[in-house]
Amino acid sequence: MTEKERMYKCLDPVGIQESVNTFPLAPRLDTLDGKEIYFSITGEPDITIPLEKKLKSDYHNVNWKIKKTYGTNPVQLSEEERKTADGLIQAVCW
Amino acid sequence: MPYLAELEKAGIPTVLVDLEDQRHMVKEWALMMGVPSIRLLHASRTLPGPEDVGNWVEPVIEALTRPLTEQEKESSKWEPPHPRILFEGTLDEADDFYQQTQYIPSPVNAPISIYTDGLPIRVPTEERVREMLTGTSHAPDELVSLQSDRRTAAGVSLKKGTVVPFQPSIWRTATVEKVATIAVMAGCKPEQLPVVLAIAESGCGTSTTNNSGQWVVVSGPITKEIGMNSGCGFLNPGNPANMAIGRTYQLMAINLGGAVPGVSRMASQGNPINTGGTCLAEDLDGLPPGWKGLNEESGCDKSGSIVMVMNTGAYGGTVTGRFTPGGYRALQKSGHGGMARRLGVKGIPGPHNWLEYILPELPTTREGAITLVMIPEMAQHLYEYGFKSKEEIYKWLWERCFISIKDYRLRSRPDFITNGWMGVEKTSGKPWKDLPDDYMIPPVDDPSSYCIIVGGGEEERYCEFDGRGGEASNPIYNVDAWR
Repeated sequence: MTEKERMYKCLDPVGIQESVNTFPLAPRLDTLDGKEIYFSITGEPDITIPLEKKLKSDYHNVNWKIKKTYGTNPVQLSEEERKTADGLIQAVCW
Repeated sequence: MPYLAELEKAGIPTVLVDLEDQRHMVKEWALMMGVPSIRLLHASRTLPGPEDVGNWVEPVIEALTRPLTEQEKESSKWEPPHPRILFEGTLDEADDFYQQTQYIPSPVNAPISIYTDGLPIRVPTEERVREMLTGTSHAPDELVSLQSDRRTAAGVSLKKGTVVPFQPSIWRTATVEKVATIAVMAGCKPEQLPVVLAIAESGCGTSTTNNSGQWVVVSGPITKEIGMNSGCGFLNPGNPANMAIGRTYQLMAINLGGAVPGVSRMASQGNPINTGGTCLAEDLDGLPPGWKGLNEESGCDKSGSIVMVMNTGAYGGTVTGRFTPGGYRALQKSGHGGMARRLGVKGIPGPHNWLEYILPELPTTREGAITLVMIPEMAQHLYEYGFKSKEEIYKWLWERCFISIKDYRLRSRPDFITNGWMGVEKTSGKPWKDLPDDYMIPPVDDPSSYCIIVGGGEEERYCEFDGRGGEASNPIYNVDAWR
């Protein structure tokens, strides 16, 4: 066998990805009327200011709650808030 | 994304609005968080908000109410393989294998290398990796972990021994052997491996959406041991150690961290200092008396070697000097020329504080601190002028870069940094909104955000890179811990 024909075992440089258990999404709501829906705002006020206005005016039977930051990390629901929250809109992720 | 995954798992339905070009990144994160089917809608980068919102507010509501599909109801296990041997064949076949690309659609629309930085690599055969591993006493199957306690920029304390997660992917880890594999690919020699392992200890972040620049500085005796260049042209190609070590950062980000343009690495243009990698060696012999090298600044003694690993946000970027060498010499030798006129020292020989010349432009062209990379002669002039330590210069720069709140409001970052001006300003302890327009504030966290590195040749030049993250951030990693 020539050097050109010699076989080599070559190693994998890719990082070790742990296995991931995937979950079903949470069941959706039959209606938003009367529900407690959080609007979690992260930056992009050009979008989130009119979005908040439109959600409150077009869906006025919803109990809207607002969480707001100008940064990228959302202000999270507390343990207490999670007990009564029915849904959450996260906008805008960037 | 971890937060939304938590909510979905807790039974709270969510919908995420993101910018359309980041959809691959969001999907990848959603998979890693266990919710691959997360409902996602796109906002526009260009349409005015009121017009854009009208396009998708109903779909947002519908995303919370439309019943789940069969796929969205599934639970399963994603188990990506990670074989030790990736390929078996001749060297020519291995060359072709490691040079494979994958086509990444919009926003890239081009082929991207799977295992390399786009250039050919040195094939990591078992024999070559075995030889590379002689450069460290750490076992090949040891997971790369922190070699000392440290604190993240977010203030989280991490203990020595914490396994390092590679970024942007958050759940990938690496063995010493994998780092050695990448060191072979980059063209390193075994004696360079401790530096590469110290760089790996940083997690090799690339940021997600910024044009961030990643670069490293080695300081200490190891620079001479392994033949690095800290002299003329040390930022240019030519020195095998500087080039190979610099290259390992990007190869680790790509392979260990999974950094793929348009998928997980969303910098819309990127940064030229990432091309081929950037690695400097500090010239400790060129330091003025009493000035400490980065190794001593970080707490080592002179016999210790460290690497400073920088992943900076490019709010000012890299500047290769703001004056000509001839203008500088005229300033210092006889007090003539434009620089002398600006400093008001016409006809007076130096030493003059040349930082006065660049100072007016720093707050206006940067949104953050700087790292000054200067030749030994220019460091010596600052010493003779009166700066007996680097720390005196850091403090001097910090004090002189204060700006008024009125000017601060005219920049892009403060809306974000101050959380919409809802927080408290540090120096006064008062709410931002209560402060008058003429109140002066430091746009840089603290003096230690600045940094000075001495190196280069004799032509009177300096460079600016982005600065450090201040006291909260520690970009220093101990090379000796990896010998």
